[in-house]
Amino acid sequence: MSIILISSDHYETGRVVAQQVAAATGYALLDRGILGEVASASRIPEPKILKSLEPTSSKVGFPAKVRDRALASIQGAVMARLLDDKMVCYGLAAHLYVLGVSHVLKIRILCNEEERVSLMATERKVGIEKARKLLKKQDAAEKRWSLDVFGRDETNPSQYDMVISLSQIEPDEAVNAIVETVSYRKFQSMTYSIKCLRDKELSIRVKLALMEKYNDVDVTADGATVVVRTKALKREKRKKTENIRALAGQIQGVSYVEVHVVRDIFRQAAEKA
Amino acid sequence: MAKGLEVLLLDDEPIVGKRLKPALAKIGCNVEVFEDAKKALERIDQKEFDIVVTDIRMDEIDGLQVLEHVRQSSQRTKVIMITGYAMMAVAREAMEKGAFDFIAKPFKPDDLRKIIAKAAKALGSTIQFENSETDGS
Repeated sequence: MSIILISSDHYETGRVVAQQVAAATGYALLDRGILGEVASASRIPEPKILKSLEPTSSKVGFPAKVRDRALASIQGAVMARLLDDKMVCYGLAAHLYVLGVSHVLKIRILCNEEERVSLMATERKVGIEKARKLLKKQDAAEKRWSLDVFGRDETNPSQYDMVISLSQIEPDEAVNAIVETVSYRKFQSMTYSIKCLRDKELSIRVKLALMEKYNDVDVTADGATVVVRTKALKREKRKKTENIRALAGQIQGVSYVEVHVVRDIFRQAAEKA
Repeated sequence: MAKGLEVLLLDDEPIVGKRLKPALAKIGCNVEVFEDAKKALERIDQKEFDIVVTDIRMDEIDGLQVLEHVRQSSQRTKVIMITGYAMMAVAREAMEKGAFDFIAKPFKPDDLRKIIAKAAKALGSTIQFENSETDGS
């Protein structure tokens, strides 16, 4: 079976396509409806969870640590659900962190630009030219956000298996094209792709557990082996390694933890100064 | 146990065949092991196997060519790809060309046995086995 990840340059338009694709395939729709649950599990208020997904929202009162934990919590919830297979996922930035999984079909829906301008003008109650400028600014902010947070440019077509422009193709035709494409054998799950997804789910689960104490961890998993990369001062290295091993070792599915600590040169320099 | 499920195992690393042959024999497979892809293809031309397990990266003939060869000679045979260099693009290509399944090395014998059991089911046969090792996947 397969998973379809849909992203769009216009939230509402993409959402409608995602709903139609879910209905046509019989797959479950995974969308922002899970954010309430994410908020309860992470003990981060739901508006902040939502804010972490919105590139254009103000960063005032929203420290990067909270944002990172909010996004990691979303990732954890998404990855856990994607293991169930037969999913259409939309609005949770999954196209930026579910990478290298062959049975995941990634779609980018591009809304008609003039329609976006017109919608923006209505939403913001501004003229067409002002709306055009605002839209340009919004697109730039989204691109910057995806690069800052995930190191990936979500506007780059090469990130996707298929890019559909609704200025040329009707939404119904887009849905049909997606449904047909996902039926290709290359997008069917296999032992290897399922393992890739499980590894990603485990790594984010471990990362979330470690983030309670350490925000600067990068985690990868291969089967039941987990590799944690982090930074520390020389004097902290041993204790941090032990703590990470103990914390990660408690997570279900983990049998071996490898910790790589590199020297935190910035903190070291700050201490010397 | 399935009776007489005919399996051809091709990997240019001798240790793979040495380790997997007894593991598959345990679940009732008759396994022929090859390290040379050319000889394996000759054998495939002589006999219709139920399952072909092949490495992907090999000298001269690679696993995807073996897959294409099998597909031309038998639509019934299930081809399972194994590789130490797993990548999304190769996995997709293998599936598109008709591979039954794709697994990355290293794996446990039970992982392959599970896939063999799945292939047997698709062939209308059954294989029952108890996991002898913890499933780490």
